[in-house]
Amino acid sequence: MINSGILSGVDLRKSYGSLEVLKGVSLAVDPGEFVCLVGKSGCGKTTLLSLLSGLEKPTQGRVSLDGKEITSSSEDELALFRRENVGFIFQSFNLIPTLSAWENVALPLFPMKIPQEQQRQRAMEMLEKLELGHRTGHLPSALSGGEKQRVAIARALVNRPKIIFADEPTGNLDSATGEAIMSILRRLNDEDGVAILMVTHEADLAKQADRLVRMKDGEIVA
Amino acid sequence: MNLRYTVKELYYQRRRAMVAAFGLSIGIALLIILNALSIAYRQAAQIPLKEIGADITVQRAGDVPQELSGAVFPCSAVTLKKDELEKVGSLPGIKGMGRALLLWVFDPERAWVVLGIERENSIGPAVLRYSVADGRFLEAEKSEALVEVAYARQFGIKLGDSLSISGREFPVVGLVDASRATKIAVANVYLPLKDAEALAVASKQLQSVSPYAAGDVNLVFIKADQDQIASLSPAMKKILGEKAAVATPDSFLKLLGSLFALSDKFTLAASLIAIVVAILIAFKTMAGNIAERAREIGVLKAVGWTNRNVVFQLIGEAVAQCLIAGILGLCLAIVVSFGLSFMNVSIPIPWEMSPTPHFLPGGGDQIFKTLRLPVTVPWSLAVFAVLLSVVIGGMTGGLLGRHIAKIKPSEVLRHD
Repeated sequence: MINSGILSGVDLRKSYGSLEVLKGVSLAVDPGEFVCLVGKSGCGKTTLLSLLSGLEKPTQGRVSLDGKEITSSSEDELALFRRENVGFIFQSFNLIPTLSAWENVALPLFPMKIPQEQQRQRAMEMLEKLELGHRTGHLPSALSGGEKQRVAIARALVNRPKIIFADEPTGNLDSATGEAIMSILRRLNDEDGVAILMVTHEADLAKQADRLVRMKDGEIVA
Repeated sequence: MNLRYTVKELYYQRRRAMVAAFGLSIGIALLIILNALSIAYRQAAQIPLKEIGADITVQRAGDVPQELSGAVFPCSAVTLKKDELEKVGSLPGIKGMGRALLLWVFDPERAWVVLGIERENSIGPAVLRYSVADGRFLEAEKSEALVEVAYARQFGIKLGDSLSISGREFPVVGLVDASRATKIAVANVYLPLKDAEALAVASKQLQSVSPYAAGDVNLVFIKADQDQIASLSPAMKKILGEKAAVATPDSFLKLLGSLFALSDKFTLAASLIAIVVAILIAFKTMAGNIAERAREIGVLKAVGWTNRNVVFQLIGEAVAQCLIAGILGLCLAIVVSFGLSFMNVSIPIPWEMSPTPHFLPGGGDQIFKTLRLPVTVPWSLAVFAVLLSVVIGGMTGGLLGRHIAKIKPSEVLRHD
């Protein structure tokens, strides 16, 4: 069961020196599934997300994304893999301050051999989809928190990923905006069938996911 | 490299981009100015010889005549034999040769510095044809004289007067302003070479000091391949002996006494220091700027940029920044060079190259050729400096990019 699905991590362990952050965690996400990872701060949620998305390598264990074992891939192979299969949403948006909204959305496409007009077109479509068609030329500094996160979501979607990793996407937003962002993620999951693995410690939001995974002290407890 | 991203990064971070570019532009400007000055001094050093249509002058030092009467050779210019000159003329790199005969003539009523010139030769004192202030230049097959304007004024000599030099009569057909032409081999009176030879042949005093035959001369002006001038000097000395004095642009460069003129190594060292300091400033500023962007680099890598993509992007930004710096530095250097081109330099002309008896008025005075320092920025130097700037950008961006691209996105994005 663990090895099936769009994403699977098997017996994942991660240590920083003598500190063992993950203690043999196994997790699988099915295509189109919306999974929420919940738990207290420091329980290892973000570390698990980093290992599963290929941002970091486990001390022990295996990760497979879309059927490809990525644990032994080189850094550049992982980057290329992420470019084609994965989207990221971060708590603090991580938009490039010198690029406009549409350029931030198109950022994953910049290194690809896609004509610039096509890149722009795809970014615009994503922004329209997230009801930001009127803000495409604005710099991040001119956007509200909710708008920034919607731009970040558009960026995560622009490469048409199979799975999105969202690390506390509502953490820097007020509750109403957080709700709105959660609705968007839910809608994307329902309409586009993109799998989502989201880390949050907000129980109310987590309830909207298809599945809830609880972590405690580096282990999955439920 | 994404050009749009590069332009936006430089535009929105223009203050820090300009700080880095400014440091490098100062270094580039210094590099250009130092080299432009060095080139200008080299060009200035060529002018005294160029003005007489030559690249090299040759003469030979000899003995002082025991008695100053009739026509004599100055001690700095005694006989150069015809056969010796034929050997010199056959040296590789020699493109042409002009000859002249410089005499001091001590007549009972007056002392003259007389120069016999080849009327038709463009190499040597015949360039005076362009400095005739009144009358005309010497005509073929005629025994006539040109008189230097200042000398004519001093002694009341006018066009149409007849000069009696060692008992021979020469009508004055022109007044020449030699100061406009050259400071080398300046005389009071200019005669056709064959007439000067006749004066020399007839002078017992001259023959007793330095045996002379028609066809010999005591001043030679040589046009040569620029690349071979340095090697020709020792070759000529080998033919003419150690007493031969061979003057080249390098001789005048040494007389200029400027650090730029004295040593290529100085210019090279100063340029290197300027550029190394500029590189360090640019490197330090860019390193600071790139370090501040660690999180941004982490985002790029997270969304699928490879190390190579990141490095190329940073190289592109550094190259663009340094290209701006190079163009700024070039503009600054052009402005400063224009200012420096108003500077005068005085090139001392050795007495031996334009000998006048010390006891005659002005005979012991140091002669200078004063001219504006021809400071310009050659295209080749401008292109080199801008290209150097771009290379510095490429290397700086590459080094910093390779370093920063190693960061792990999970490390910089972890603590939201």
